[in-house]
Amino acid sequence: MLNNLLSNRRYLLVYFLIWIFISGIHIILLLYTQKFTFELVLAESLVSNFLLAFLGLGLLVSIFYSNIKHQALFTKIINHIILIIIFLGLWVIIDYLILSSSFKDNSGYVEYLKTTLSWRIGNGFLFCGMIIIAYYLLVFYQNFREKVVKEAELKTLVKESELSSLKSQINPHFIFNSLNSISSLTIISPEKARNMIIKLSDFLRYSISHRDEQMTSLKDEMQNINRYLDIEKVRFGDRLNVVENIDEGCLDKILPGLILQPLVENAVKYGVYESVDQAKIEISTSCSEKALKIKIRNDYDPDLVVKKGEGIGLKNIGSRLGIIYKNENLMVINKSNNTFEVAIIFPQEE
Amino acid sequence: MDRKIKAIIVEDEELSRTLIINYLKDFSEIEILRECANGFEGIKAISELKPNLVFLDIQMPKLNGFEMLELLDSIPEIIFITAHNEFAIKAFELNAVDYLLKPYSRERLVEAVKKAIDRIKSHRPADKNIGKLINQSFGDIIERVVVKTGSKIKVIPVQKIQYLEAQDDYVMIYTEDSKHLKQATMNFFEAHLDPKQFIRVHRSYIVKIDQVVQLEPYEKDNYIAILKSGAKIKVSKSGMKNLKAMLNF
Repeated sequence: MLNNLLSNRRYLLVYFLIWIFISGIHIILLLYTQKFTFELVLAESLVSNFLLAFLGLGLLVSIFYSNIKHQALFTKIINHIILIIIFLGLWVIIDYLILSSSFKDNSGYVEYLKTTLSWRIGNGFLFCGMIIIAYYLLVFYQNFREKVVKEAELKTLVKESELSSLKSQINPHFIFNSLNSISSLTIISPEKARNMIIKLSDFLRYSISHRDEQMTSLKDEMQNINRYLDIEKVRFGDRLNVVENIDEGCLDKILPGLILQPLVENAVKYGVYESVDQAKIEISTSCSEKALKIKIRNDYDPDLVVKKGEGIGLKNIGSRLGIIYKNENLMVINKSNNTFEVAIIFPQEE
Repeated sequence: MDRKIKAIIVEDEELSRTLIINYLKDFSEIEILRECANGFEGIKAISELKPNLVFLDIQMPKLNGFEMLELLDSIPEIIFITAHNEFAIKAFELNAVDYLLKPYSRERLVEAVKKAIDRIKSHRPADKNIGKLINQSFGDIIERVVVKTGSKIKVIPVQKIQYLEAQDDYVMIYTEDSKHLKQATMNFFEAHLDPKQFIRVHRSYIVKIDQVVQLEPYEKDNYIAILKSGAKIKVSKSGMKNLKAMLNF
């Protein structure tokens, strides 16, 4: 930490600028209160203050390289005081020796040096204390800033992984069943088999490539949903009846990619997979400047007991909406006698 | 044995049925008598046609492949054909001939059919006690119970069950508006009904907890539970302990 502080030239510069400032005040005070020559005042101020400045750095270095930081609070304080006393003693002695020997002819000044000794000690103690406090404040501030940055990084990381896990996963059984249908079509209608392969490929490509993108247009999203529904229609024939009421004007509205897919899959799962007769799936949209509203409704058998895991899909979509739009109430679920309806509002940015 | 093997297909996707028929077109030892689009049709076809072999899908609407088997008195040889690999263990516990994962090759299907023919020709009887086997093999909490009354099949969601009563080799299932007899054991239901909702209160009774409205002492250590429907069922000493633990009193 100290290495960081010392190697950072800005900190050192500021440190010495402060000492120049203190020296300046020292000079002014002496000139006004004592009748010394400017030369003497200048020497006294620079010697005393810069000696203390360098000793102060030494003090910091010795704190840094000692194991004081890891001691209990009480011993820590005692040890800091001992260090301060040592450096202070050095300063007082060296300062006195230099100044008194340089100006030994000026008896008035030597007398002044002697009488102000206690005052100097007090002053030096104060400065050393301030240096140490400034050091610890700086260390604390840097740690704090690092922690804030790390926390922010962690938050984005968590959010990203949350998003990716909340996004719809491609259902492997859907793929295997589709491949089986294709296998059958290759015998009775190769043309249809080719069509289905292309639709399945496009669907898979969209689902995989849009995994990392966040937002997409309703047009793209509906195109992909229709690929999916076309494939399911090949599998289930008349059992799947899709009704779409899509307002053309809404097609360029924006929504999170692949967020409708699991809802449509659910509708097919609970509507068609579990129905002996025909089941209707209805997708309708409406929009204004500020919002896009999408409703997905399917027939279902209320007697069919909720399977384990059901509801998690819906919850995931709710959390995903919450993360993206910071609003937990965008999705509304409506269960009536024989229909299940999910309505979502996607706020649009102006 | 020159007679052809009689088979039916029970599978809800038309293309999947077509594929089986196409794969076996040139396979002269087998004759497909009927295609069934769901478990209900399957049960009807099996009782009418008495096939030797059934190609059976598992995931089907309302009545899945396993539930369909549960309702049969006599089980033909079974080849499961499904996209789900998670049911394989259960399928083999039921003594299935084979378990094919979609999509599969003609060779793979033919191999399975040959195995079935071997079994049928060696007159190794299919397991008549499949009901018991199913009772043992279900690992999970069940969500519905299928019962057959005469030719009628009923799927009962467990939510609608009020209580169960042991009756010799059978269990009587009481719902709000009806009761159904099923060949199963109390131990099976105790193990496979959600323990948060159902409690075995007596050797002969399992009750849905939210149905209990009152408990009255009866003889020593025994109680009588009065249900919402007004029915009264016995509660044994250990049953009372179970109830107390669940209801925190």
